[in-house]
Amino acid sequence: MKKLCSLFEAMEQVRDGMCVGLGGNTLNRAPMAAVFAMICQGRRHMRVVKTAGGMDVDALCLAGCADAVDAGFISYESQYGLAQHYRRSVQNGLVKANEHACYTVISALRAASYGIPFMPVRGLKRSDLRRVNGYFKDVTDPFSGETLAAVQAIRPDVAVVHAQIADGQGNALFEGPKYEDVLLSRAAKSVIVTAERIVGEDWFAASPEKADIPHFLVSAVVHAPHGAAPCACYGYYEPDEAAIRAFLALEDARAFDGFLEKECRL
Amino acid sequence: MIRPCDMMTVSLARLIEDGDTVFHGVSSHMPMIATLLAKRLHAPNAVHLNIPGGVDPQKPVLRKYTSAGGELWQNACASFPLMEVFDLSMRGGLDVAFLSGVQFDAAGNVNASVIGEYHRPKVRLPGGAGSAVLIPTARRAVIWRTKHDRRTFAQKVDFVTAQGNVSEIVTPLCIFTMYQGELILKSVHPYSSIEEVAENTGFPIRYFSVEQTPPPSESELRALWEIDPMDLRSIEFR
Repeated sequence: MKKLCSLFEAMEQVRDGMCVGLGGNTLNRAPMAAVFAMICQGRRHMRVVKTAGGMDVDALCLAGCADAVDAGFISYESQYGLAQHYRRSVQNGLVKANEHACYTVISALRAASYGIPFMPVRGLKRSDLRRVNGYFKDVTDPFSGETLAAVQAIRPDVAVVHAQIADGQGNALFEGPKYEDVLLSRAAKSVIVTAERIVGEDWFAASPEKADIPHFLVSAVVHAPHGAAPCACYGYYEPDEAAIRAFLALEDARAFDGFLEKECRL
Repeated sequence: MIRPCDMMTVSLARLIEDGDTVFHGVSSHMPMIATLLAKRLHAPNAVHLNIPGGVDPQKPVLRKYTSAGGELWQNACASFPLMEVFDLSMRGGLDVAFLSGVQFDAAGNVNASVIGEYHRPKVRLPGGAGSAVLIPTARRAVIWRTKHDRRTFAQKVDFVTAQGNVSEIVTPLCIFTMYQGELILKSVHPYSSIEEVAENTGFPIRYFSVEQTPPPSESELRALWEIDPMDLRSIEFR
């Protein structure tokens, strides 16, 4: 299969009911083009995984794509306030919020990347999160007898990340902060990369900086300039305030169609 | 006129000691600016850690939309991303973690998760981010909260997102500290009073002796405006 393909071809690999891990952090380098494509394709019953999500998770909730969100934090940070669509969906019982500490998402992804079923985690000593969520259990250190919290592995069916640079084989480089994207690519069964720039096949060979994600983990790569917009992409663009405000003002999923046409030219 | 945002930011900065390893996360403009302020003034050897992973970013041009962006990475000396900051705290190497929440009680419990029942909440909050693992493992978990009322400082939190090594809670009115498992009043900001704190707190205020928080000094304010010319430290008050 040719890996370099159109956004919609690539996102066809995501099927209803899949567990999808999203790259970036809050409004930084979120894979928005891919998220909007999944929404246009009418994905349903997805489980979305991210340490700290913002507009990406909010959009999937507004569009009714997500059944569950596993994350440590879902908000837009201080300038744009709370993720109201996510919040409403959870409060109405449409989306299950599986609250983690950001670190327990990381630990769950590490367990998946190490090929083990769970990860012991320090912390969570006296937290109700441990009591009310089935993905936390107690585990006993077989050597010392100490009791720790264990978090169940999360192995996403697919990781969706937006990189600054990729080649046609799927080798991908994050310029600037990498957030948890590299770990996510190791934990997931497959990886879809969207990228600001597609470079030639010998670019990485000649570059002193090597790809963060090697081609053999990647199932599709898409040339998607502005693929994180209206969120920010380090070194390329800042958030599009007007588009974010317009999105936040949307009342329901129907209003979303017009937004996608206008803001995303989808 | 002392602005509460300035009083809070300098209060947070003063809690950083020289040489401390210090972490702040998302939605954390005030502690981000406090960390930069402490490093500029009394704690030049404090280590500034953050989500993008830039260690000790030099004179970052701060952004309004994030406290976890590339500007904290760009002029940094080393890369030490979020997952490694967490690991550092788990093995006992993080001195100060700045965290927030929506509800707090006299036992030092922090709620950043839900109002109401967890599985069908009345209000779904953003979540505690790193709180549940950092508050018990960092040497000092310093909490800031820009709201001080009886719903925020409640008799009992709806949900315990985290409990542990809370050392101080800085509010627009005062600074609380933990003493033998109980949140007690440490100092009251110059424009407030014990009475005002008590009126706005949902549990009885207890203290040994209450000082007045020293007002922001001229050099603190000057440095604040240099670090934060866009006044992003006031963002949670707007």
